[in-house]
Amino acid sequence: MRYDDMTEAIGNTPLVRIDPVVHGLRNIDLYAKMELLNPFGSLKDRAAWQMARPMLAGAAERGDTVVELSSGNTAKALAMIAGMHGLRFKSVTNRMKVPEIKDLLLLLGAEIDELPGQAECLDPSDTEDPLSRMHRTLTSNGSGYVHTDQYFNERNVEAHLHGTGPEIVKDLDGRAPDFFIACVGTAGSSTGVARALRQHDPDVRVVGLVAAKSDFIPGIRTIDEVHEVGLFEPGVYDTVETITSDDAIDGLLTLVRRCGTPAGPTGGGAFHGAVRHLRPIDATLTERKTAVFIVCDRVESYLSYVRERRPALFGRPPRRNDPRDLTESEVAAAPTIDVEEAQRWPGLVVDLRSPYAFQALHIDGSINIVDELFAELLHGGLPFSRRQPVLLVCPVGEKSARYAALLTRMGHPSVRSLAGGVIAWRDAGARLVRD
Amino acid sequence: MPDSHPLQLTPRMESITQSVLAEPDLLRQLTDGLGSPLNIVLPEALDANVSAFRAVYRQHRLRGNIYFAHKANRSSALLRHLAATDAGVDVASLGELQHALGAGFGPGRIMATGPKNREFLWLAARSGITVNADSLDELSELAALVAAGRLPRVRVMVRLSEFASRGVHLVSRRSRFGVPATLLTEALDRLDKHADQLELVGVAYHLDTIGLAEKAIALEGCLAALDEGRRRDVPAWSIDIGGGFGVNYLADGAQWERYTSELAQAVLGRRSPLTWNGHGYGLRNEAGTLRGSLGLYPAYRPVSGPGYLDQLLAATAPEQRRPLGSLLLDSMIDLDIEPGRALLDQCGLVLARVLEVRDGPDTLVRLELNSRDVSLEEHGVLMDPVVIPQDSAGIAGPAEVFLLGNLCLEADLITRRKVVLPVRPRPGDLLAFVNTAGYFMDFSATRALHQPVGRKVALFRAGGRWSWCLDEQYWPVPERAEAA
Repeated sequence: MRYDDMTEAIGNTPLVRIDPVVHGLRNIDLYAKMELLNPFGSLKDRAAWQMARPMLAGAAERGDTVVELSSGNTAKALAMIAGMHGLRFKSVTNRMKVPEIKDLLLLLGAEIDELPGQAECLDPSDTEDPLSRMHRTLTSNGSGYVHTDQYFNERNVEAHLHGTGPEIVKDLDGRAPDFFIACVGTAGSSTGVARALRQHDPDVRVVGLVAAKSDFIPGIRTIDEVHEVGLFEPGVYDTVETITSDDAIDGLLTLVRRCGTPAGPTGGGAFHGAVRHLRPIDATLTERKTAVFIVCDRVESYLSYVRERRPALFGRPPRRNDPRDLTESEVAAAPTIDVEEAQRWPGLVVDLRSPYAFQALHIDGSINIVDELFAELLHGGLPFSRRQPVLLVCPVGEKSARYAALLTRMGHPSVRSLAGGVIAWRDAGARLVRD
Repeated sequence: MPDSHPLQLTPRMESITQSVLAEPDLLRQLTDGLGSPLNIVLPEALDANVSAFRAVYRQHRLRGNIYFAHKANRSSALLRHLAATDAGVDVASLGELQHALGAGFGPGRIMATGPKNREFLWLAARSGITVNADSLDELSELAALVAAGRLPRVRVMVRLSEFASRGVHLVSRRSRFGVPATLLTEALDRLDKHADQLELVGVAYHLDTIGLAEKAIALEGCLAALDEGRRRDVPAWSIDIGGGFGVNYLADGAQWERYTSELAQAVLGRRSPLTWNGHGYGLRNEAGTLRGSLGLYPAYRPVSGPGYLDQLLAATAPEQRRPLGSLLLDSMIDLDIEPGRALLDQCGLVLARVLEVRDGPDTLVRLELNSRDVSLEEHGVLMDPVVIPQDSAGIAGPAEVFLLGNLCLEADLITRRKVVLPVRPRPGDLLAFVNTAGYFMDFSATRALHQPVGRKVALFRAGGRWSWCLDEQYWPVPERAEAA
């Protein structure tokens, strides 16, 4: 296949059958629409390209910036499309909740504006919320912004009405599936695909999946947030069901570990929600049915999201010389000296505080190894000779006592901790310097 | 699908509030004798709140002062009781400063903040309290007063604002207060000029936001400012991070989630209205889509008060990438805070008598108080009052009612929300608006229409039962020990 640019690789993704051994449904063939194989990594490539394409003419000459309220895949796709056409891209967001995606967007050259939190001393008569103000700026003429407006832009739906939906029908030999299960984000894909499928067969059952109100699944709106989406029409869905972040991760693990599909949480949620919805129906069926769900994007961007919720999956072997392994009695027995004795200390003084604090003020002649770095060094063994006396200094003498206990355990004969730390030193009027 | 269960917003009541409500006879006597509305303050509830903040300090090994933001309540009893703890007070007017000095706070425990007139500055300088300066000109005005009166040097802090977020751009709300952080050099020059009159003890910020990210940037900005001061040999050791720690008002997060979901449904016209004239609290219906933003305080806040401080101190500084609490400790900096609302959690309630219950399409309950006497609505806090029935005969419930005030004004609703009460109120019953000591008790009360402003009473436990006195009669004096 030879293309002139990457946007030509958008769409025409495969429809892959999920092994029945994995999902356990006996009468339903479950297919995954593999949108993770789009060139920029997700289903949103289709909508981003469809929305941006008509706005590109003249935009580069005017020096416009493409703007979208997105903290995820739409931003990623738009950033790449904008870059290909010499435009800048700005993502406006309430909070980047997934750090990898924020980093990725910055890597792609996107500018990010994060909106402030709610006021503590609330003025309910203040209608000037930052988002409304932002909207006004974007829509005023000659603002220099091209706003793709994914939550309200009908072209978002069209991308799926003319693309994703018909592709599914074609791959099922011209038939619409009996069930279509989709997570609701902008509602663009679920609405567009549902319309296309129903043109073939008005009886297609469409299941919308949303997150529980206080939960967070990247790319899925909560049961309340869907009402803020202009493209959301409740009539599209035969039923709207709730999934949890736990469900999404369970589904993700199944797809990743058993189906050769490196799916993100949205795909995992769709799989889990699909099987949960279909299982009781499957038990009553006497004829074969088909169901389709969408695998929206890839797992790699969500490692921290999964790690936060399932730390056990990322278990690493314990490291040696870890201060957390010390017993309380070992710490209590750590050798300490007071300020007066410390002022006469003959050996090395190691200050464990942050470099900024050290540079601002420190004990004359001391060296700075910030505690995190010191901990790293100790995993490898003693970083100084046993014949070198060492005095450890931290803010209040607590961390230094732990490290003194650890160094003692590691066989250092003359390590001490400054009791009360550098604060006691200062309070005693002992000399602090900056170099 | 509309939710048909009654939409209650049950207030969170700790045992001290519950034990006051368990004394209906006392509460009735008080309102009979002193009138409605009646403000009740509970000074001893302060102790637990001060201790909880102190526990966070201990956990992070930090030192510094807790300054109660006096503006949250004018009560003398609360202030005097605080004077007996290790907390200080943040005063924002001449009157508040006089009040604090009279309540027993020494100058080392008082901080003046906010906009100040010359009289306020003079008394601050004369009494030797710390002045948290809002602008560079204020520093000069203060220095001139000190010089003219040949007064001792005054300890000052400089309130900084407009901290630049390096890296990813964080939009911030505009503030009318403070010196832009970019003018730090000018501020230090100005202080050098007035070195005989002013002594810089630290820098400050106060941001009106519940967002941690903005505060992390501001706190790191203050650290950088003190570092710059050190470069110029200024021995300043404190950062004042202001207030805004918040309170959790509701007992049940599920109620709050359900209410806000249903409010959105009501605004979209998918269920019967939940409010007077279909008010949307900032939400509006644009062609079937929800627009606007919910203008309500997040009344259910499981992480608030001391817990919020802990979270801020544990947050990673965006630039130095180390927890903010560790950075303060590393630099030997004392942390000052100015909690108002959070320090008054569970410290008082407002009582109102029911005057009339009118049936019709909606049940209207008219009260002997107005929306300024208990300004929950003005601050966007939604929580239900507690009904204290006159007697137990003929109690019915629950009831959906609107609560009307005693002003001859269409807009005088205690809340625009339809309130679901577990017991149908009757004339003569009392309604208790609990946990209202912080900002909702006397902050906005007026004598408009010659309606009375509520009297204030302090409740305290003596000999195992609740006693009371007028607010101005309360002093935290221990009972005389029996003669030996």
